[in-house]
Amino acid sequence: MRTVLLGPQRFLTTAGTVVRSVAPEGPVATVTAGWEDRESADGELDEVMEGRSRNLHLYGRLSDVLVSDEHFATEALAHRDAMDELAGLYSLRLQRALDSVYAVARRPARPAVAEAAFADAVRGVRDIDDWYLRTVDQLYGELEAAASPEASEPIARHRHEVAQLLGDAAALAIAGGHVGILLRCLRLFAVDPRPEVPVVAWSAGAMAMTERVVLYNDRGPQGVQGAEVWDRGTGRVRNVVAMPHARRRLRLDDAVHARVFVRRFEPAVCLLLDDGTQVEIGADGSVPEDARVLTETGAAAS
Amino acid sequence: MSRAASKLAINRLLDRKPLDGAAIDRFIERHGAPIIEGSRATFLWRGHADEVSVRHRVVGLPDPLRLRHVKDTDLWYVSTDIPEGSRIEYSFEITRDDHTESFVNDPLNPKLAHGPFGASSVFAAAGYQVPDWTLHDPEARPGEVIERSIASKALRRQVGYHLYLPARFRAVVRYPLIVVHDGLDYLKYTSAKTVLDNLIHRNEIAEMVVAFVSPVGDRLVEYANHAPHARFIARELVPELTAELPLLDSPVGRTLMGSSFGGVASVSTAARYPDVFGSLLLESPSLVFTDIGQDHGGGPVFDPVVKFVNRYRARPRRIADRIYLTCGMYEPLITPNRSMETVFRQAGMEVRYVEARDGHNWENWRDRLRDGLAWLHPGDQKFVYE
Repeated sequence: MRTVLLGPQRFLTTAGTVVRSVAPEGPVATVTAGWEDRESADGELDEVMEGRSRNLHLYGRLSDVLVSDEHFATEALAHRDAMDELAGLYSLRLQRALDSVYAVARRPARPAVAEAAFADAVRGVRDIDDWYLRTVDQLYGELEAAASPEASEPIARHRHEVAQLLGDAAALAIAGGHVGILLRCLRLFAVDPRPEVPVVAWSAGAMAMTERVVLYNDRGPQGVQGAEVWDRGTGRVRNVVAMPHARRRLRLDDAVHARVFVRRFEPAVCLLLDDGTQVEIGADGSVPEDARVLTETGAAAS
Repeated sequence: MSRAASKLAINRLLDRKPLDGAAIDRFIERHGAPIIEGSRATFLWRGHADEVSVRHRVVGLPDPLRLRHVKDTDLWYVSTDIPEGSRIEYSFEITRDDHTESFVNDPLNPKLAHGPFGASSVFAAAGYQVPDWTLHDPEARPGEVIERSIASKALRRQVGYHLYLPARFRAVVRYPLIVVHDGLDYLKYTSAKTVLDNLIHRNEIAEMVVAFVSPVGDRLVEYANHAPHARFIARELVPELTAELPLLDSPVGRTLMGSSFGGVASVSTAARYPDVFGSLLLESPSLVFTDIGQDHGGGPVFDPVVKFVNRYRARPRRIADRIYLTCGMYEPLITPNRSMETVFRQAGMEVRYVEARDGHNWENWRDRLRDGLAWLHPGDQKFVYE
């Protein structure tokens, strides 16, 4: 099972070269669902793929399902409302817990006491992350029970078509964009390539390949806010927090924030995916030794 | 920096002997007006007068700020401290032959700030920039503003309002609803539609539906804790919009917004209907109060406001989940708003309080919209990794 994670492709396009190296011939299934209603504007991507791309059009399929399956659409909307409510509560709890960790980390104290207090405060944040993901699982379970995708004719039809396209593909390329929409599409249409089909994914696409998708943006209008767990990814890549645009989006010069980030998600490694980065994941789903990861001091290290 | 270079430009001009009209012309052509040098601003006026003053509403600066006459010339000037990042709106008051002319805009400064009471001269100190998100962006997909009306039993009349629908408005999404007091003024003087289009395009705020509502009668009555107005908003407008449009049907999805007296209307409506609105966006709300006695200094129009705020302060309670509160440092309302921040917080609400080096005016309120809306209804920016 071959997987390559790449940094952002907007300014430095390496996806074409990488796809050529892992699949020199044959059609390349592409996912641009993260681009939402610009999903079909993939001419440039097709050029990069040397005209071999076969867009799975997952966003278009999602839109079709929401129009053609009223029952599923109603339940999906209710599910999203529930997710929004949950995210609001999670954010409230998380912000207070993170404020506590930062305060503890900055308070001078005897090293042993300071480390114990810090570790315990981080544990509090991890507990909140775990609670959140458990509740996300529960909400997916409720959606599944209320409107099983297997029972939906349009979903079944789209899944079948997607599986056929994937079956013919020599590789799967997953572009970045809106990671929430991308995950929703990958899940709904059960995008699961055969083990021998290499996957090349960048930015949000790389995040979606991990077990746990973490959102972060210290440069937004609200300034520095804590990273938030959003959802489970496909789990093709294990023990990794994929971090595209880390330098652009995170205050890595703040050692306390970096330390909390790293400790919060360990044993997963925080994989830095900046422009030009290319990381081939091992067959067992692990990150190679020489990959650049975030350290507790905020510096990148191999 | 040499001593000569650190001297204010006006003082270097005054050192010139002789100082004739041509030299003053060249000086003004070179420097414009007011002249901003570090944290100093020099106002200039030319003409024959007995007295010339700068009028402004900046708390802390003398008002009127009298200009000095430069002997044997038609030049008047005054220099004052203006901290970095400040925006000041002002006009001149000119007295000639026992006649005083007020609200005269600065003829040497082409920049004007517009508001419902007309335009006034404006300048910005070093460090202030008009935010780029307030300017038209051809890349941003435009939303739509449509005129609508609703038959209001509470107000006993047909009430017109403007409704903003975001670009790509679609039925399968549930949108937050913002109800904006003084809606037409927000549309006209804060470029609200452009701001919404741009911030939504940048994923900084959520796609949202915005109802811009204007007073139908006497604003100072209708917005000063007026039961029919509150009933109209909470029991007529919001339910009708929720029934017709794909809106989030819970308090967390609803925000009341307003500036000045519109802020009072927002707070008093939320106080009367505490389960309807999850958030308030308050810009320089006129939340005037007294700690003892009734002498609030605001005149009779403030009497119902003071009565309402005094009552609220005596027994503060939750009227929303979150409040974004902002006020200009240079306006008289800064003191009550600093106090109200604590009162709201202690009542159990989450409060984000922001002060700006600006006054009680629409451009100040425009400049705070990004911060307020993004805090209350953040967009999907954190989800997007291209």
